[in-house]
Amino acid sequence: MALEIIVMIKQVPDSQEVVIDPVTFTLNRGAARNVINPADENAIEAALRIKDKTDAHITVITMGPPFAESALIDCMSRGVDDAVLVTDRAFAGADTYPTGLTLASTIKKLGKYDIIFAGEESTDSSTGHVGPGVAEFLGTDQASYTSESWYEDGFVYAKRELEDGTEIVKMKPPTLITVLTNANDPRRATLRKKIDAMKKGIKTMTLADLGMPPEWVGLRGSPTVVKSMRTIDEKKREGKKFKIEEIPKLVDELIEKKIISI
Amino acid sequence: MSEFDVIVVGAGPAGASAAIKLATSGSSVLLVERGDPPGSKNVSGGVLWGDSLGSVAPDWEKAAPMERYVEAKGVSFLTKDSKISIDFRSKKLQERRSGYTVLRTKLDGWLSKKAKDAGAMVASGITVDKLAFKDNRVIGVEQDGDIITSDIVILAEGANPRVAINSGIRERLKDRDVAIGVKEIIKLPEKTINERFNLTSSKMGFASEYVLGFLEGGVKAGGFIYTNKESISLGLVISMKEMRQNNNTRSFDLIEQFKEHPYIAPLIEGGRVDEYSAHMVQEGGLKSVPQLYGNGFMVAGDGAGFSFSNGMVLQGMNYAIASGIAAAESAIKAKIKSNFTREGLSSYEERLKSSFVLQDLMNFKGIEEVTWSDMIHRGIPNMSEELFLSLFSENGQPKAHLINLLIGAMGHSDVPRKDMVINMYRMLRRM
Repeated sequence: MALEIIVMIKQVPDSQEVVIDPVTFTLNRGAARNVINPADENAIEAALRIKDKTDAHITVITMGPPFAESALIDCMSRGVDDAVLVTDRAFAGADTYPTGLTLASTIKKLGKYDIIFAGEESTDSSTGHVGPGVAEFLGTDQASYTSESWYEDGFVYAKRELEDGTEIVKMKPPTLITVLTNANDPRRATLRKKIDAMKKGIKTMTLADLGMPPEWVGLRGSPTVVKSMRTIDEKKREGKKFKIEEIPKLVDELIEKKIISI
Repeated sequence: MSEFDVIVVGAGPAGASAAIKLATSGSSVLLVERGDPPGSKNVSGGVLWGDSLGSVAPDWEKAAPMERYVEAKGVSFLTKDSKISIDFRSKKLQERRSGYTVLRTKLDGWLSKKAKDAGAMVASGITVDKLAFKDNRVIGVEQDGDIITSDIVILAEGANPRVAINSGIRERLKDRDVAIGVKEIIKLPEKTINERFNLTSSKMGFASEYVLGFLEGGVKAGGFIYTNKESISLGLVISMKEMRQNNNTRSFDLIEQFKEHPYIAPLIEGGRVDEYSAHMVQEGGLKSVPQLYGNGFMVAGDGAGFSFSNGMVLQGMNYAIASGIAAAESAIKAKIKSNFTREGLSSYEERLKSSFVLQDLMNFKGIEEVTWSDMIHRGIPNMSEELFLSLFSENGQPKAHLINLLIGAMGHSDVPRKDMVINMYRMLRRM
């Protein structure tokens, strides 16, 4: 029987384009285009690499607004079989706790799952909570911060990058793996797969489909309260121009200010 | 049986217009675009001239993301210390129709969405490798080893026609075919733009071309400044030949020299560079127009060499749109007759010939020899500078007649007087 793989992704504003609103201190998402969270692209690739060698079926899921559809189609254009968008107004304002809970409920609804992949963290909030949270809600094993993973003889192996070395863990499915940013080189979409993806389309699930109580999700289900947020003003660096012939003067000044010593 | 009636390669103004036209008339269309989202890889100076969009999007003036209406159009010659300009402003320009400044990321995104809404399948973020052939006929496109089939392929891939070259339907680009365009989008407040360019409202726009006769090493380049709502498009176009002859020239140095000119710098002062880009520009005129159509394919837009510059206006998007629509109409006709051969698509050339697209290119054949001449880049600017300096200064000497001043000024032009006269005649004829 085919291995059932789930990949959880998030659409984030392109970090190169995002700006912080100087008045409200929140991310001005409107200005930036939305992309797949970079680590999630590596998670997709990790899943596809298992499918390259093993009979597997991959479903990508995301919780987000309807325009997240394009990110899901993009995943299918790379070789993911199915895509589910979990979307509902009730999910708005969720912190990492109800997000994990909602995704875990979605995965349970989908039926059988052997391996769940997620990126290590998102570039727009960088908590790294959601992946491990889902593993806890589902009660599965987990391996976080992995650079490589493979499936062999009924076991899932994952290579974890730790501060003092690497660790290879062997786990029995079902299990959850979070993948490091840049862990691999994600493959590109192909035209054939993109056409198929657009024809097939994505599935959508709402709060009603999940059967969760509304007070468990979204802002209401979120224990985190953001008290305030502020940007740090960039400190203006002192600068001084010297002409080539003034280099001795520059050296003297640097010694005087104890920046260099001879 | 093909998967699609038509595959359109490239979602710029040519490809997107073709896709809108085709989808609206009920054809199944696949529009494939390298950039994701569509528009993100597309660059042009930034004025859409005319009303070509009218036939696929009658409401475009209201609905499409236009920046400002060109009510002030300039042509300037810059020397190191001077600026000699025509600054034409007219309330009648709108009646006669000029153009709108546009930002391509927005405009092309809008066009693609329009194509999608009309029923076309839009696949962005995908680079087509080449055309797929069978029995000397195009049967679709090839991408990553797969062939996607269609009765007709419309190639609208822009100034860098890689698919056409990879497919062997056109030769590799030669220096004479292309120029390099470099461009910056400089952010400035709406009000500041209105004040600096003397615009009475934020709908009114200024567009100007510049002959940059002062660049280091005597490099010939043409500059442009167009006002958007809250930014300025500033850039220059330099021919490949010029780049090669001046080995130490870098396009990004040239744009800095343009920006630092004493009469350009104040226009952009305090602005933040929001985007910079570089792109090939079609320059070869009619000479570079390759095979426009063949068995199962048509070529439209920049990829077919459809752009126009006489030094006073630079146009490309209007030709792109008109040629894209002409290709779509020819495809629709071919479908009715079920004849997708070269003969079945021959109405494409007829359509182009009877429209401004090919007529402009034919009428202005050889104009690039004028626009890149010493006469334009050194002769006229230097002569005019001297002439106006003599006219507008007062040094206590007896005044000379204009004609004598003119002859005297010609001596400052770096170009022999005889050549000046011959060139002047040639230029007027070609323009």
